[in-house]
This record gives sequence, C-alpha cells and structure tokens, in this order.
Amino acid sequence: MGKYNLTALRVRQTALRQKEAGKTHQIPKWIDVVRDIPPAQVLVRNQQQQHQLVRQRLKTLPGASKPQVVFEVQEKRVKPKKASRMFLPTEIKYEEDLLRKEFFRDHPWELARPRVVLESTGKDYENYDWSRLQQPGKRLDGESVVQRQLWLLNNVPDMTKSTAYDIARREFYRLRLQEDIERRVAAEEAEATGATFGPTRLEIGMELENQEYERWKVWAKSEAQVQEQRAAAFTGAPEIPSTEDSLGLEEGVEEKQPQQA
Amino acid sequence: MIARQLCMRQSRQLHAFNRQARTLNSLNRFYSTEPPVDTTLQTRIKERSAEIESRYQNDAVPERISRRRAEQLAWKARGERKFKFQDLGSSVTDAYKPEDIIRNPPKPSDVTLELLLASQTHLGHSTSRWNPQNSRYIFGIRDGIHVISLDVTAAYLRRAAKVVEEVAARGGLILFVGTRKGQKRYVVRAAELAKGYHIFERWIPGSLTNGQQILGHCETKVVNAMDEEIPKYREALADRSVLKPDLVVCLNPLENVVLLHECGLNNVPTIGVIDTDADPTRVTYPIPSNDDSMRAIGVIAGVLGRAGEAGQQRRLENAKNGVLTYPPITPEHLLSPERLAELAQIEAGNVAANAEAAEIANKLDEAVQSIETEQASTPQETSQSTESQPEPQTQVPETEKPAEPQPEQPQTQAQAPETPVKDQ
Repeated sequence: MGKYNLTALRVRQTALRQKEAGKTHQIPKWIDVVRDIPPAQVLVRNQQQQHQLVRQRLKTLPGASKPQVVFEVQEKRVKPKKASRMFLPTEIKYEEDLLRKEFFRDHPWELARPRVVLESTGKDYENYDWSRLQQPGKRLDGESVVQRQLWLLNNVPDMTKSTAYDIARREFYRLRLQEDIERRVAAEEAEATGATFGPTRLEIGMELENQEYERWKVWAKSEAQVQEQRAAAFTGAPEIPSTEDSLGLEEGVEEKQPQQA
Repeated sequence: MIARQLCMRQSRQLHAFNRQARTLNSLNRFYSTEPPVDTTLQTRIKERSAEIESRYQNDAVPERISRRRAEQLAWKARGERKFKFQDLGSSVTDAYKPEDIIRNPPKPSDVTLELLLASQTHLGHSTSRWNPQNSRYIFGIRDGIHVISLDVTAAYLRRAAKVVEEVAARGGLILFVGTRKGQKRYVVRAAELAKGYHIFERWIPGSLTNGQQILGHCETKVVNAMDEEIPKYREALADRSVLKPDLVVCLNPLENVVLLHECGLNNVPTIGVIDTDADPTRVTYPIPSNDDSMRAIGVIAGVLGRAGEAGQQRRLENAKNGVLTYPPITPEHLLSPERLAELAQIEAGNVAANAEAAEIANKLDEAVQSIETEQASTPQETSQSTESQPEPQTQVPETEKPAEPQPEQPQTQAQAPETPVKDQ
C-alpha cells in the first residue's frame, strides 16, 4: 500500500473478505461494532484554526451616552501565506501574554517564588472574580496582577494599559506589604509564647565568614614566616629579634608584609 | 586588605555586641525575618498560668462530692476537651489525590474538557517533532509545543470507550497494553475493570504471529454464559490454537510498533493514544492525547476500563435473562462425535448410579432430611451434564482463559483477578 499502511483502518473489510474466501470459519465478534462505529478518518488535512489576538475594551463613543464594548482584532499580515504553510498550526495568542511579559520583566524575582501549577478539577477559574486582586484558594503572585490588569482593561471604561498596570501593581504592593507585616507579627507572637527560632541567614553567613577569616589568618602567618626565613637566608645574617617579631604578630600581618617585600 | 580586615573585625564585634546585649531589637522590628526575642509578654503568661493553677487547686479543695462522681466529671471534661480539640484546625477538602484515578476512575460520561485540561492531555511535543498526519488534532502552537485540541480528544475518547464497551458486551477478549514506566497500575486497573488482560512489561514479538510457540503452554478454559468454568472441556483445549484478542488497547503505540504490526497481520482492531509525534495510521481508533503524562494516561485508561466494565455488566445481565449477545459455541466445535458419545454414556451411567444410590439411601435410612438433601444434589448434576439440549443459556458458549501472555511474571497474575472472558 505504498507509503501508508492502512491495514489497521481496514480490519472490517479484511475480516469480511477472509470469511468470503474461506480463510476464517467465523466472522469475528467485533464486526458489527466496527460497522456501527467506523474507524477514524486519517490523512485528511483541514485548514487550521487561525488564532488572532482579540482585545475587549469598554469605550465611550462620541455619540453614545453609555460606554460600549468594543472588540479589536489585531490586523492580519498583508503578506499572504505560502501554499505549503497553509495547513500548519498557528501560534495561539492571548492578550495576557504581553501583560505577563511586561510584569515579569519589571519584577523578575516574582518568578523565583514557588507556585502551584497543579489543578485538581480544572475548574479553579469558576471561583475567581478579578474585580479584586485576592482570590480564595490562590496565592497572590504575578499571575494575579496580570489577571487583575486584564479585568480592568476589559471592564472599566476608557482604561489604558499603563493605568490598569499601575492600579493592579499598587494593589499588589499593598497586599505584599501586608503579608510581610502579618508574617512579622506572627513571628513575634510565636516568640512571645515561647517559640525559638534558629540563627537567621545573616547570622549563619557571618559565622561562615568568620571561619574563613580564621583559616586565612593561620595560612597568612605561616606564609609570613616562610618569607621571613627566605629573606634571612638571602641576607646571610639571621637576626633573631626580627623573626620573633614576626612570630609574635597576630593581627598586623598585612602591615608587615610590604615592609619585608 | 587592611580595609577588609577592619571591616571584618568591626562586623564581628558588632555581631558579638548584638549577641550580648539586645539593644538593637528596636531596629530588628523593621525586619520581617528576625523578630525580637525580649518581650514583656512572657512574664505575664507565667503569672497567668500561676493564677490558673491556684484557681484549680482552690476548686479541688471543697471535696464534698463523692470520689466516683468526681472521676465521672473528669472523664466527661476530658471528652469535651478532646472534642473541642478535634474541632480546631482546618479540614482539607477538594485536595488532589493522585490515587483517585486508580481507585475511582472516571466514566465515559464524566469526561469533560476541564478534566482533560487538568490532566494535561492537551500537551503535545515540540513542533519540530510532529507528525503532519496529526495536524487535524492540533489546536495550535504555544511556547514551541503543539497543543492538542481538547474537544477532539474528548470526542475520540468517547468513541473509543464506546468500542470497548460494545466489544466487552459481545464477550470479546480485550488486551490493555502500557509498557512505559509507571503505567503499570493504570493498565492493571483498567484490565481489572473491563475483565480483560494486560501487559505492562514488554510485548514479546511473535505472541500473535507465532503464538503456539510463545503462549502454547498457557492455560485456557471453557466457561458458560455466566463466566463459570466447565471443566468437561479441559482436555479439548489441549491442541487448539492460541487465542487472539478481539481488541487491543495500546497506551504507548510509539514503543509497541511490533504489537500493532502483528495486530494488523492478524486483523485485530486497535485503540491507541496518539501523541503529536505518533503515527495515527497504525491504530484503528486513535485517541489524540498526551502520552507522556501519567495523569493523562490514567484518565484515558480509567475511562476505557469503566467502559469495559459497563459492557461486561450488560453481557452478564443479558445472560441472566437467557439472552446471548454473541454466537455461542456448540460442544461439536470442541469435541469429536465419538468423544461426545462417550461423555454422554458416562453421564448417563452417572445419573443411573446416582439414582440407584438415592434409592438405596432411601431404603436404608428413613431420616427425611438426609434424603431431601440427597435429592436436591442429584438434579443439579444432571442438569449440568445435559446442558447441550435444553435452554440456550447453558448452551456452552465456549470461553477460554488464556493465562497471562507473560507467564514468567507471577505478580501479573496476582494482580489480575481470575477473570474468565468469552472468546471465539
């Protein structure tokens, strides 16, 4: 059958012919099933769905008293598609994409926050109402800002993108600050009722730095001693007081070194 | 270097200072991470607790009630406290439990676009890896991957479920194949529901085309319409050809090209999960979906398993009413006429012997109950032995039980219950 192997799709015809020809004694049980539910049509290419960016806005038109809903479609390219590209799938575009890109360009560290991407039912969106920023069952994150901004753009008359961004962002900052305060108060309350927290990250970092400093000090001492001995060997006249000095020094290694060099 | 050392010294000093005297606590208030330790509340709480203790002691002092009564009260109070404590905290509802797909798989009627979306059936492969034959299942491109159209997936999934149900209702053998890592439990569960068979390790090439060699030693059995084994025909199955499935459900067609090829050679219809990089012409009924996500595979296998369950139920109900949904096999198909005659003779002899025994028993003991039980047991045997004539229900629709295609895996058999399935 040339390029394609269509045996799987022609099971029924084959079975009937085999019975006719006497190759099999019985018609298989599924013969009626395949007749009633025919196999899928394959190898047919349809014109792909053309995805376009649609923007919904509420605008007050010059004549009308009430603002009206206006749908704007992104203009199509003037250049027609090549015939060979006709059946290729097209890029799916949404208006949020641009908003999302802008937000995360301005707040790259929002991407570092942990985020739940799992959906249990797929119907989470039913609980959300983006006329406010906070949603039940959803952590406040960049996506909230994007959705809020989109809601503002879609539902507030004569809203511009930057204004919507500013409004959503301001609400977001306020809520983040509130979260911060809540966390601090919770920690305070916990401490007041007897909780103890371990050393903070700053303290741990400081501790590590101290250790590294001590290690360096030991190394620097030995290094200074070696250099001094080398200098003494070069001059040929060992001077006991100078070595004692170098052994005695603890903190001022750096100050001594330039003198010796 | 000097500057660094100075700074370090100072910082260390500062650190030490901070440790010793917590005068910087007022500054710490402005950090979110480090709360102050010194609070006046601590002492207050101690006072409070002391107060409470003293109060309890005072309460205990007037001991007029009997000791028994006090104990009872204490018991009651403890119970109340426990109850209150259990009331505290939060109860988690609507949490996602991955096991739910296995424990309670969705029915074909439960398939919604939201369910499919949540189980990631729409995610295809990178655009460069696509098979252009799948273009009609693809919705568009997003972030460099093809997105499979959810409504197409739902439609094809329902269609495949219908096929499974009808084949199960006609007593066909259904084989579930999922040989990828992690698909084992879904495959086994689906086969369990549909009373079918499963493969989760590897399709041994030639199991269909060279079945006599590979599966020849596997066990088969003849069952009646109610799926009960008829041991009489065990000997007849010894030299019969190996069974072929009536429907193969393949959850990863990419890795099972050989299986699908053999199904094509043996004219077996197939159902397969077709990702954007798979070849849809290899299977009879494709289900365009993501085949890399376990959750997606779980949903699809569960739906098909449920469909098979519904079909099997329908078949058994019909059999109970005396209706066969498939052409049954007569004893002549299985055994030679001479052997049948022999069997009939043996049966007749058995019946006569039973009757004689009953008579002797009748004569010997007069205890009525024992006789009754004897008589109750004999007619059953006769009806079973002469089932070829009277009613169509017991007319020996031949059914055979092929043991697992992979007899070297004991756990396969352990997981699949003994499910006699109709064949031929």
